Amino acid sequence: MMQMLAAGGMAVLTDGQRSADDDNPRGYYEWERIKQLPQDPACIAEAEGKAVKVISQLLFALPGAYDCRIIFMERPLAEVVASQVEMIRRRGTSGAALSQAVLIAALQSHLNQVNASLQHRPNILLCRVEYHQVLRDPMCASETVQQFLHQTLDIASMAQQVNQSLYRCRTEGTVFPKE
Amino acid sequence: MGKPLAQKVLLIGWDAADWKLINPLLDQGLMPTLDAFVDHGVMGNLATLRPILSPMLWNSIATGKRPDKHGILGFMEPDPQSGGVRPVTSTSRKVKALWNILTQRGYKTHVLGWFAGHPAEPINGISVSDLFPYALGPLDKEWPLPPGAVHPENMRERFASLRMHPQEVTEAAILPWIPRAADVDQEKDKGLQSFAKILSENCSIHNAATWILQNEPWDFLAVYYNGIDHFCHGFMHFHPPRMEGIPEEKFEIYKDVVNNAYRFHDMMLQTLLDLAGPETTVVLVSDHGFHSDHLRPRGIPNEPAGPAVQHRQFGVICMKGEHLKQDERIYGATLLDITPTILTLFGLPVGEDMDGRVLVQAFEKLPEITRIPSWENEAGECGMHPADLRMDPAAAQAVLQQFVALGYIQPLSEDQAKAVESAVREQQYNLARVYLDSRRYTEALAILEELAKKWPDQPRFMQHLAQCYLALGRRNEAKAILQQLLVFEPKPAKPSEKKIEADAEKQAEKQVEREPRPVEIQRAENQTAEPPAEDSVVETPVVEAQPTGEQPKPRPWADLLLGIIHFEEGDMDAALACLLKAEQSDPHLPDLHLRIGETYLRQKRVQDAERAFQRALEIDGDSPEAHLGLAVVRLRQRRNQESAEQALLAVGLQHFLPLGHFYLGVALARLGHRERATLAFESALSMLPGLMAAHRWLAALHTQSGGDLEKATRHREIFLRMRRQRQTQATT
Repeated sequence: MMQMLAAGGMAVLTDGQRSADDDNPRGYYEWERIKQLPQDPACIAEAEGKAVKVISQLLFALPGAYDCRIIFMERPLAEVVASQVEMIRRRGTSGAALSQAVLIAALQSHLNQVNASLQHRPNILLCRVEYHQVLRDPMCASETVQQFLHQTLDIASMAQQVNQSLYRCRTEGTVFPKE
Repeated sequence: MGKPLAQKVLLIGWDAADWKLINPLLDQGLMPTLDAFVDHGVMGNLATLRPILSPMLWNSIATGKRPDKHGILGFMEPDPQSGGVRPVTSTSRKVKALWNILTQRGYKTHVLGWFAGHPAEPINGISVSDLFPYALGPLDKEWPLPPGAVHPENMRERFASLRMHPQEVTEAAILPWIPRAADVDQEKDKGLQSFAKILSENCSIHNAATWILQNEPWDFLAVYYNGIDHFCHGFMHFHPPRMEGIPEEKFEIYKDVVNNAYRFHDMMLQTLLDLAGPETTVVLVSDHGFHSDHLRPRGIPNEPAGPAVQHRQFGVICMKGEHLKQDERIYGATLLDITPTILTLFGLPVGEDMDGRVLVQAFEKLPEITRIPSWENEAGECGMHPADLRMDPAAAQAVLQQFVALGYIQPLSEDQAKAVESAVREQQYNLARVYLDSRRYTEALAILEELAKKWPDQPRFMQHLAQCYLALGRRNEAKAILQQLLVFEPKPAKPSEKKIEADAEKQAEKQVEREPRPVEIQRAENQTAEPPAEDSVVETPVVEAQPTGEQPKPRPWADLLLGIIHFEEGDMDAALACLLKAEQSDPHLPDLHLRIGETYLRQKRVQDAERAFQRALEIDGDSPEAHLGLAVVRLRQRRNQESAEQALLAVGLQHFLPLGHFYLGVALARLGHRERATLAFESALSMLPGLMAAHRWLAALHTQSGGDLEKATRHREIFLRMRRQRQTQATT
């Protein structure tokens, strides 16, 4: 999504610190400082007028003083966990000491809590974008994002960024979505 | 649905209220409201659960379930939002509380200040969370309510205005409690600040409760006051008689605070009763008592929730209402019984998955008790938080760990990580102790083995593990751990902490050693020592400790447990040697004297046993096991009337005491009270069906004239079968 936004003409906030790797061959579009959000909520001010990638956990810490539009990427959790397990293996770190099934349930609870915390926050607008929908119909997804952001974006360029070959970590039984 | 026996129920919680302090005040006419209350209702001890940690206990009171079921397992839990820790929350409670059940059935229900009550639950009424009264800023600045402190949200400002700030506690409020407040050097002594904080918080809760009673329709209102507990933690060291090490000047300044706390609660009680009206059934309870006499500890254990060492195993219960007895004492109540009893007052069914029972002895007539398998399966809006707000804190922590591993978020700071590790560890430890308390040793063992392995420097885990092995009959493993512990030396403390810690550890051990129960009972019930008490949230004055010597640290509780093992192995001389060694290290351990008494009984040294049980009662006059020991002594001395009296005292203090009922039966049978003896033996068997001797006695009693010969035959057959089985086991 960050690549799509950048291609569409949206300014993105990234420090380029985390370089592309096997997990993400096109790079991460991350801004390391966002991890400080819980300790320094005001740092979000640097993202004003720009797009910044924020992990769901950090949304709890979004301050009330800034209007935010959140594009919330949703993907089946089984795929998310499979992808995370692979990333953790490559990073050589150790993740949650839970079975995949329990971790999926825990992540679902986490998302429920995030969603509950975002409700009734007048400074936050939310647009849920389904990962598979983007793969299936990138143009439609790009238009949806453009409407949500109230900005004129280059939708065709955005849609071109969607590379179905990067769809990996399919879980057993997941059928690749077709047109 | 049964017949409702109450129009309205007011449940009042006084954390840590204790008859030991209340009774002298009643006698002096200083608590007139409570005096009239008990005259028109029933009163008694309310046995607590272990560990004696208030959040766990108050949620057991409100659910009728032990903490492993309700899920509140300590003071702190990991905070999935901040990555640190937070006070336990209502979103962690896994089951319905009274207010949820009553909401589900359409009753207008209010709850205020309950432990682990934040965020306020969306019940059919007003819910004011336990974070409501805390002032987080100075009076002249904003001190907003935390989000979620009041439900419904539109009552938020109304209730915010009902709060009292500590800075609003003026001289006029302080002087009646502390007449010499002007002598306090507030730069050095924070006593007045602490006092103002506790007083204002409790006034805030009281204001909110009285506002609801005056302005809102209601069927049920539960209000929790932490004042007595917090005043006791802060000022019990100054309560008369003056403790060794307490400066006379400070004693004179603060000596009346604790008694005045009770008198203040009595005044608040009067207001609640006036507003609730005479048609209301009122239930007043505390979760535990508080040591106020020679059992007051001189220091606080240097471990999480260490101040709980000050807690006593009996809280209070008083109830008054239309269908309840008047001016009667009830026996054997536990805090698990409150929810089943209140449900019965409303004519609602009791969940079969609740661990408590209905306090039928409090009712004028036997109430109709209906039951359902579980309230958890009952459909309908119950005012719990939606599922998406509830999350197992441990699972939440695992998700955070996953995000850290992925590089998505920053690793927790060292402080945060330590706090989270401590919170999770203490929750596990508390869960193990819940299992020990409810005699589920196998479940406890799995947790304790892991804790002892992971934190080998914490003797408390190994000590409980040894007790658990002992309960499971794995004496060799218990012995190995104890021998290891007897030579265990913790890492040296920092010089500035050393004295206090030395005293704290001694006190921790003291508490630990209080736990084991008499060997005879333990053998009979296949149960082991109970875990130590803990808890507290308020800073407590710590008395100067005695300096540690150069000698290896004595571990009297390890000697005590070794004594129990020798006893169980039948080596009475070795048992006595260990027990007397423990006594040399710390003679003030009531349960130690019970063990000594039991050993003397086995050696047929009845007079020595009597002395030991008397000594146990000198230390703790409310020890059911000591009365039980004396009942056995009196039986041996053929003083049957006195034996029956002692056994009655024992089962009165702790209803679930099978051998208490058994020895009561023996004494009554010898006194010729056949029917009462039969009842006593049947009670013993209902608690401990394997009590072979009870079957034998019942067979004999039913054979007598007026008995039931069919029952006599059945009990004889059971007795003979059990005896054969035991003989077979012995030979194999």
